[in-house]
Amino acid sequence: MNRVFVTGIGIISAVGSTLTENRSALLNGKSGIGFCTNLTSRYARVLPFGAINTDTGEWRDKFRISHPGITRTTLLALNAFSQAIEDAGLEKTGLTDPRVALVGATTVGGMCLTDELYRDTTQPCEGSPYLTSYDCASVNLFLQARYGMTGVVTTINTACSSSANAIQYGARLIRNGLASTAIVGGADSLAKFTINGFHALQILSTAPCRPFDRDRAGLNLGEGAAFLVLEGEETLAGKKVYAELTGYCNTNDAFHPSALSLQGDGPYLAMMGALQSAGLKPADIDFINTHGTATENNDEAEGRAMLKLFGELPPFASTKPYTGHTLGAAGAIEAVYSLLSIGHQELYASLNFETPIPDIAIRPVCTSRPGAVRHVMSNSFGFGGNCTSLIFSNVN
Amino acid sequence: MLYIHQTSCIFPQAGLDSPPAGPVGNQLKAVEPRYEGIPGNTLRRMSKSVKMGVGAALPLLSYAPDGILIGTGYGGMEDSIRFLNQIVEYDEGVLTPGTFVQSTANAIASQLGLLQHNRGYNITFVNRGLAFESALLDATMLVREHPGKSWLAGGVDEISAHHHRFECTEGWYKKEDLAGKDLYASNTVGSIAGEGSALFLLNGRRDGAIAEIKKVVILGGENENALRSALTALLEGKSPDLLLSGENGDSRASKWYQIAESMMDPDSGIARFKHLSGEYPTASAFALWLACNLPAVLPRHLIKRPPGSTPRHILIYNNYKFTQHSLILLERLL
Repeated sequence: MNRVFVTGIGIISAVGSTLTENRSALLNGKSGIGFCTNLTSRYARVLPFGAINTDTGEWRDKFRISHPGITRTTLLALNAFSQAIEDAGLEKTGLTDPRVALVGATTVGGMCLTDELYRDTTQPCEGSPYLTSYDCASVNLFLQARYGMTGVVTTINTACSSSANAIQYGARLIRNGLASTAIVGGADSLAKFTINGFHALQILSTAPCRPFDRDRAGLNLGEGAAFLVLEGEETLAGKKVYAELTGYCNTNDAFHPSALSLQGDGPYLAMMGALQSAGLKPADIDFINTHGTATENNDEAEGRAMLKLFGELPPFASTKPYTGHTLGAAGAIEAVYSLLSIGHQELYASLNFETPIPDIAIRPVCTSRPGAVRHVMSNSFGFGGNCTSLIFSNVN
Repeated sequence: MLYIHQTSCIFPQAGLDSPPAGPVGNQLKAVEPRYEGIPGNTLRRMSKSVKMGVGAALPLLSYAPDGILIGTGYGGMEDSIRFLNQIVEYDEGVLTPGTFVQSTANAIASQLGLLQHNRGYNITFVNRGLAFESALLDATMLVREHPGKSWLAGGVDEISAHHHRFECTEGWYKKEDLAGKDLYASNTVGSIAGEGSALFLLNGRRDGAIAEIKKVVILGGENENALRSALTALLEGKSPDLLLSGENGDSRASKWYQIAESMMDPDSGIARFKHLSGEYPTASAFALWLACNLPAVLPRHLIKRPPGSTPRHILIYNNYKFTQHSLILLERLL
């Protein structure tokens, strides 16, 4: 099987619209959680969010897009995608080669257009410009058309683990010889759809989220996008390599549509499967970027699963207090943070942690610091029991 | 080396041996079973696409697949729109989370995971007209990566009332009523809407298989030469016994299907299926089910050009809205 390497990164999140800005925030413990100024929602200035307070119109101008049906989710994706291909030096050689694949993920897609959709569904409709924008596929079909891509293009929606699965699928296309290069990642925008959905589930915190803390009170939603360029060995000569994707595993918790089993069976199997696919032992993992949403349910289940697998835990943290939970983008954004950990040999701290959860009593890294990092595990778990763990390894 | 061992389908017909039921209001609605085997409380909460997906999958779950792969073009759309409209109508007031949780596209695969207590691989593809093909391509990789394991893969879509209206506005369905008329002779713009759910038990074992899937090709964009090249590369000079064409009665789509037809030998048969299924993003899953379950004597309504022999090698060519093309080459083994 071919080995798979990361040769390009693009990211936009509440803590920055470049890789450098994101790293700086992680190093300095600078959270992006605050109010959302772009969204007309009754919760926009009541609940804290990982919002990117840039008007959607600014991105339209930046990318010279006039069609109103191109959504905020798509523009977030375009921000990260264009950085990633430039970083990997692909923009010159073109993306039209049928051996170049695009595997994207989103859970909101065009559902960020709540009010437009309401008008289109309740009033006589005479060809509004939004009709083809509402689904999840619209994001990647736009990227495909804009860059004239002719290889495998697909979209994955496994809720909050979507973009981790996009990364895994792209890597497997390369390993199976179905692509030489795969641009993989995800995007989601803050939307009334998800804000009200998570609010109805009563898992939105009214304060900045506190992963793995006894007094955690839910998650903060965020928005953003990240894409990685994955390449096999055949196209790698002379290129900058961030890390190798050595392990991945997708499992299902098979317990409940919107909650993890208390012992974290799905997370345990995903982490164990990722180790097996990488040929590593638990003790080989130097750092875990946890899913760590700070909901009552997730952190306890994930913590129990980590304890069962690792015994003594390696250093771990959640970066959700910086970006909020970016849903379909989270797996890709946190993969990027894992790559930064490897590239700069540093561990990024969780924020807002004070008191361990009784029973499991585990403590995340609370101060960002230098550290030897050879193998990083990144966890993403979602509704519907969808769990995926990835492992990135240093090759330099 | 991907083999189909079991198939299951819910589609807009009572069966393949009865005369085809035509569209009502240019829609072909699925003939749903009674869904015995899904607990009543669970069934009540399910959207139609989840019901059809789970209902068709149930008979295959007894073979204990190791993972579940679902493709759905617009799965969850109807519940998503319902929830969004509640948000607007109640001005973001107190809402119940049920519609939100059910509206996620991964609801079918996750329900199947729950029902089977399957903690294995579980994924949902939502890439519109190539969602099912993405799942099928995944299965070709999985059988190579995990010899000996079996996979449940399928395509599911429902006619969502709201979304159907959008598509009518955009001219994807015919304006004139097609009741009692020949879909393929209409020579007008648009097709008829359809829905359904087709699932397959797949693994790498040839013994006892119904069919072998030899090749799955995904093609994006409106490039006629790219389609010709893909067909040439796929066929390697050997024309199949039967081309199963996704021709859908839309006069704008004909040229694509004519390209595929023109590349067949004269003694290759041509058959069509959209008059049975209607048009929808994962209609190619129905085509694959049909290819596996063709009666020994082909019903006349399927035939555009009769095959020289009982079809063994079948090529399915389908395109969705002219921009998403797929080729599935299979060999029937029974």
